[in-house]
Amino acid sequence: MTTPSITPQPATPSAASGSHPTNAKSEILALSVAVAGWLLPGFGHALLKMWGRAAACFFTVAILVMVGAGMRGNIFPRNGEDAFAKLGYIADMGAGTFYYLARSLERDGPDVSHANGDYGTRLLATAGVLNLLAALHAYEAMLGRKA
Amino acid sequence: MTFAPEFDLSHLQAMVIFALVVSVAFGFLSRRSAYKRARYVLWSFLLFLVIGIGIGWLMYPFSR
Repeated sequence: MTTPSITPQPATPSAASGSHPTNAKSEILALSVAVAGWLLPGFGHALLKMWGRAAACFFTVAILVMVGAGMRGNIFPRNGEDAFAKLGYIADMGAGTFYYLARSLERDGPDVSHANGDYGTRLLATAGVLNLLAALHAYEAMLGRKA
Repeated sequence: MTFAPEFDLSHLQAMVIFALVVSVAFGFLSRRSAYKRARYVLWSFLLFLVIGIGIGWLMYPFSR
């Protein structure tokens, strides 16, 4: 069994349609790259050999998660009670495995009774959304739609 | 043992960290050459700060 090489595809009009088997394969590869990038920030770009972007994604998400957790921001659990908690969970989960890193870093739990904890909550959500953006960028780059 | 640093930052420090980190991420994702990235990061960082502080001052009369 041969392993398909992960190289960004050139942008063509037919690439967007996804009707051709090769395009379907590219789409699956691009999705895999995006999922890899979501699970471990920067990994999607690393698979595409975009080392600068990979390092930037990894370190920016890591810094936001570390500072956010260090400020005792709220890390939303899966079973949120209201729409905001659910949205917060989606944003936090955007950081992939770093979501669990943030949980392990916050040994004393969140404290949003002070502005510090509130800012930490925003930084954690930013880390997740930024990582989702990076994963989407890796997906697009794999399909040749982004330089 | 877990490495778990604690941060007690002021409003401005938190905003500066946020602006810097997000600007770097945006710059690397949206530009290719080092020069263009540096320009984008600097410009974005400055705009984050100016707009953030500006909105802060606009809200100041309503804070009391």
